[in-house]
Amino acid sequence: MTREDVLKDFKGKFAGDILEFTDKSPQRVYVEIKPGSIKKAALFLFKDLGARFNIATGLDARRHLEILYHFTLEDINLLLSLRVKLPKPFKTSSPAATGGGPMDSPPTTGGNDGFVPEIDSLAPLFEAANWVEREIHELLGINFRGHPDMRKLLLSDDWPEGVYPLRRDYKEWDPKAIRDRGV
Amino acid sequence: MSVKLTALLKSPWVFHLSTGSCNNCDIEILDCLTPRFDIERFGMLLAGSIRHADVLLVTGSANRKSMERVKRLYEQVPKPCLVVAIGECALSRGMFINSYNCPVPVDKIIPVDVYIPGCPPRPEAIIAGIVKLIGKVKAQAQ
Amino acid sequence: MNLFYLVVYGFFLTAALGLFASWVDRKVTARVQYRVGPPLLQPLIDLVKLLGKENLVPAGASRAIFFAAPVAGLASVILVSTFLWLNNFDPSRTFGGDLIVVLYLLAIPSISIMMGGFASGNPYASLGASREMKAILSYELPFILAVLVPVIKASHSLRLGEIVQAQMQRGAVAASPSGLLALAVAILCVQAKLGLVPFDMAEAESEIVSGPLVEYSGPALALYRLTKNMLLFVLPFFLIILFLGGVQRGSGPVFFGVLKLIGLVAVLTVIRNTNPRVRIDQAVRFFWGPVTAGAILAVALALFGK
Repeated sequence: MTREDVLKDFKGKFAGDILEFTDKSPQRVYVEIKPGSIKKAALFLFKDLGARFNIATGLDARRHLEILYHFTLEDINLLLSLRVKLPKPFKTSSPAATGGGPMDSPPTTGGNDGFVPEIDSLAPLFEAANWVEREIHELLGINFRGHPDMRKLLLSDDWPEGVYPLRRDYKEWDPKAIRDRGV
Repeated sequence: MSVKLTALLKSPWVFHLSTGSCNNCDIEILDCLTPRFDIERFGMLLAGSIRHADVLLVTGSANRKSMERVKRLYEQVPKPCLVVAIGECALSRGMFINSYNCPVPVDKIIPVDVYIPGCPPRPEAIIAGIVKLIGKVKAQAQ
Repeated sequence: MNLFYLVVYGFFLTAALGLFASWVDRKVTARVQYRVGPPLLQPLIDLVKLLGKENLVPAGASRAIFFAAPVAGLASVILVSTFLWLNNFDPSRTFGGDLIVVLYLLAIPSISIMMGGFASGNPYASLGASREMKAILSYELPFILAVLVPVIKASHSLRLGEIVQAQMQRGAVAASPSGLLALAVAILCVQAKLGLVPFDMAEAESEIVSGPLVEYSGPALALYRLTKNMLLFVLPFFLIILFLGGVQRGSGPVFFGVLKLIGLVAVLTVIRNTNPRVRIDQAVRFFWGPVTAGAILAVALALFGK
């Protein structure tokens, strides 16, 4: 299958779910889809197109949390990334707006107000997604429905629950840490 | 200088302890053990087990998971023992000074005798640091 | 008189010569690897340093055996070296069957490493000790068969003194084909007994973190290292007495004796530097296969008078 066939196939099958299609370069394609249809899309890519699930990356944008699932088709040199945006709840006042600084409020929890979005887990489909989703869960705080084994992967055992370090509003919670340059 | 201290300085067995480094400093330490720099002429051997060690070469920024293990390992070393911190990450957490996972530098966990800066330090710098360590121990014993 | 031999010859002289042999081994290794080696007194300084370190005992270890094992190994090596020196200088002081006593006593240092490993309460130590056990089972058989050749050549006598006297009369055992083959077999068995590469899987450094000795520190480790260094002298000395005619009194023969010792240690070092480490099953197959066959061939040749 050539690159054009693959993309036409994908666009045809998921016309209703694709929100944005970015053909960045001959080797890179970004597709933004609705969060609810990630499982169907992943299964289609794996079974019908023969793509391989590579890795998933996550980031905290200003108004949403984003996960990118990277699938590769090695024969045609294509890396297809499925982007999923999980919107944050709308806040009327943010700490930055009220003039907060690094040491303005005493460090309690990580500063996020318990907002944990949910998405379907790909772990039942791909064994490779197991650890990837554990890492995204503990570092970004995204809940994966249907994951068989949601434990901590990289953080130490005395890390408090509900504190997600890679979020933008993370603050240092440990009073014994040496943070004379701010976090 | 006592016999014990002279023997310790003439036959220091090194143990290499990485507390979560990127392995660059570890590669430079292994470079020191190759025939080009040949530290066996100073009596230094690479100790296999931590209970045979006299000098601990600590690399890497101690992150939360390895902090308690470093403490436990330091208790397992038979004293007298000297600790050498190699590389920027072991000195002051290096580029990870603002990281969520590295709360304290290594010398707040175990007492360090000599600091060798560099990212990574060259083998010549490591050997110069060890020479300064021996000089410092001799001076303190006077 | 016996106490003098025990303390001076058995312990001090053997320790000095053992540390010297260990230095020869390290220096030759360093030269082969194109670097400068340690200074002459380095093994002694290692020993003194270890005596000054703290003695730590792990919580799960059985203290009695943990400390008794290195002492047992050292004691047996001192006894063996006393017997060897006695018979070397005064062959009339031999007693019936002292060759068998020496062979039994030479098995004890390996067993003491095993005991220490099992008493440590550490999985690495147990792994190393079990490997040492399998290694003992493999190399003892060809060693004993190889030792039979000088016995046959000395008119079927089990006395060390008579073996030495027979060599003084008829020439060294190694000058005959069976003796040479037996000496080769014995050198391989000594390599395994000393725990040198290629047969150091019991104490494989980068694989199982120094094996049975992983929990030892301070004076106990010093005793183990002293035992190993003394064995590095005692076993080649044993081979010299059995195969190469021993070391007689007088400056000429003593000089040749020292040359024989350095030559044997150099052979062990060269084998050590040119070979990789073998697995335990490869070692067992090697010792029960070609090496035992060679030893049986040597015994057969000796029985036929060759």
